[in-house]
Amino acid sequence: MRPLLPTAILALWAAVPLAAQQAGQMEEERTSLGGYGEVHFQNASGPNTPGIVSVARFVVFLSHQFNDRIAVRSELEVENTKVEGGKDGGEVALEQLYLDYMLSPAFILRAGLVLAPVGILNETHEPPTFNGVERPAFDHDVIPTTWREIGVGVVGTIPGKSGFGYRLYLLNGLLASGFSAEEGIRSGRQEGKEASFANPSLTGRLEWTRPGLRIGGSFWYGGSANQNPALGTGPFDNAVSLLSADARYERGPFSFRGVVATIGIADAEEINAAYGGQVGSRIAGGYVEGAYDVLSALAPASTQRLDAFVRHERFNTQAGVPAGVTRDDALARRITTFGLAYKPLYNVVFKGDYQLRRNKAGAGQDQLFSLGVGYQF
Amino acid sequence: MPLRPRRSSPALLCLIAAGALALPSVPLSAQTAPADKVTESIGRVFGPDLTIDSVLVDSTEVFRISKEGTLLGFAEVRNVRGKERPITYLVAVDTAGATRDIDILVYRESQGGEIANEAWRKQFRGKSAADPLQVGKDIRNISGATISSNAVTRSMRQALTELAAWRAEGRLP
Repeated sequence: MRPLLPTAILALWAAVPLAAQQAGQMEEERTSLGGYGEVHFQNASGPNTPGIVSVARFVVFLSHQFNDRIAVRSELEVENTKVEGGKDGGEVALEQLYLDYMLSPAFILRAGLVLAPVGILNETHEPPTFNGVERPAFDHDVIPTTWREIGVGVVGTIPGKSGFGYRLYLLNGLLASGFSAEEGIRSGRQEGKEASFANPSLTGRLEWTRPGLRIGGSFWYGGSANQNPALGTGPFDNAVSLLSADARYERGPFSFRGVVATIGIADAEEINAAYGGQVGSRIAGGYVEGAYDVLSALAPASTQRLDAFVRHERFNTQAGVPAGVTRDDALARRITTFGLAYKPLYNVVFKGDYQLRRNKAGAGQDQLFSLGVGYQF
Repeated sequence: MPLRPRRSSPALLCLIAAGALALPSVPLSAQTAPADKVTESIGRVFGPDLTIDSVLVDSTEVFRISKEGTLLGFAEVRNVRGKERPITYLVAVDTAGATRDIDILVYRESQGGEIANEAWRKQFRGKSAADPLQVGKDIRNISGATISSNAVTRSMRQALTELAAWRAEGRLP
């Protein structure tokens, strides 16, 4: 083999076309900067609820390509502008930090702090990519976005015509001590901060893509006991199992999306006994959303968009309850949002919407008016 | 410099194998499309037994593709920035300036690789500088790959306009 090598290098060297060499000179930058941000105004109905303005998120994206195959990607986020010692306020957090080692586009090894590949919003949450100033409540209380944990996995797109892509990770588990009746598994996330690896979890996603269409299915399975003797010391004790399906479809001026998810917490009774909560044994729900680009009718030549949308969410963080818990119907939420999104460019958005926040019990219902601006680059 | 599509030689395979084992010492294709990939892509679009000449227009290299003395069209390797990294693709047009096909040669981003699928790429076939080439109008978006879809579409608009102008000016005989 050895004598062949120099010949091969020479042959390839001679064959490298000029265009490739020029492109090489043009693209010397291997470190790149990006980001997204959103500023919100929100005013809920009812007495003593003045409007609130906040820089909801400011995120800096930094990546570096070490060579053809190895890259690091990161997102650093500031929520609500500032963090000050001893005061309520914002948050500074790493949203993502991982290394990719590409063996082929179909097989990329990934390690670090990654986004759980669940639902639509968790992985694609830049403000111009979703309607509504605030993310859907479903993507807060059922799928706890932005959900990120530490681990390793493989991601890829299947080459050829199939249109399939996948992600599969082994990540640290959730902590049952954080589960709640109102927000489900949300506060059980560890988010990469000195996280316990007592309960490894498996999570993954399979996607199918055509022009205008993306359909995905996701799962999460892992324990949450964190070696609390009352709950169990095995890796899969207090298992949390999530299944979710989603679809996005765009055709001309119309766009539609929908997500459903169900989360099973088999040992909710033990969790409630250990931590005194009212955690449901099943969390379930979803939403559907449709939008129409009004400018396509008013100004057909325009490349800008003005999407009018309506979204209906139904979810219950106590869809099932274990023994000892009385179901709270106020947790069976039905939220309808009407709004507009004006996009002068596909990556800049001005938003406004009106939300009817209802629940099955009819208790504590209100309306929420929101305005916002957002961008990504 | 005439190039002909060729099968991978054992020597080349040997190099690829060596490259996979000794990554840091083989930086050559880090920002570019490997030559054999360009040739292979042109062969896929225009068929076998081609003569490929290189024409320099300003500082851009355009491949002039002919077969047995008949001009079939032109091809160009272009780069456009996606979210964070350049997307390297090949655009091939016929003698009238209509797109024969595009090929994503190197995709480097973490998300949006679906634009390399034929189902998305084939939307460009037959498009010329006279078409709007706008995502959401004559090119369908891929949800979750919006930045890549827009970047390549924008770059294609520019490519077809340039190639048509060069052709009209007689710079691509």
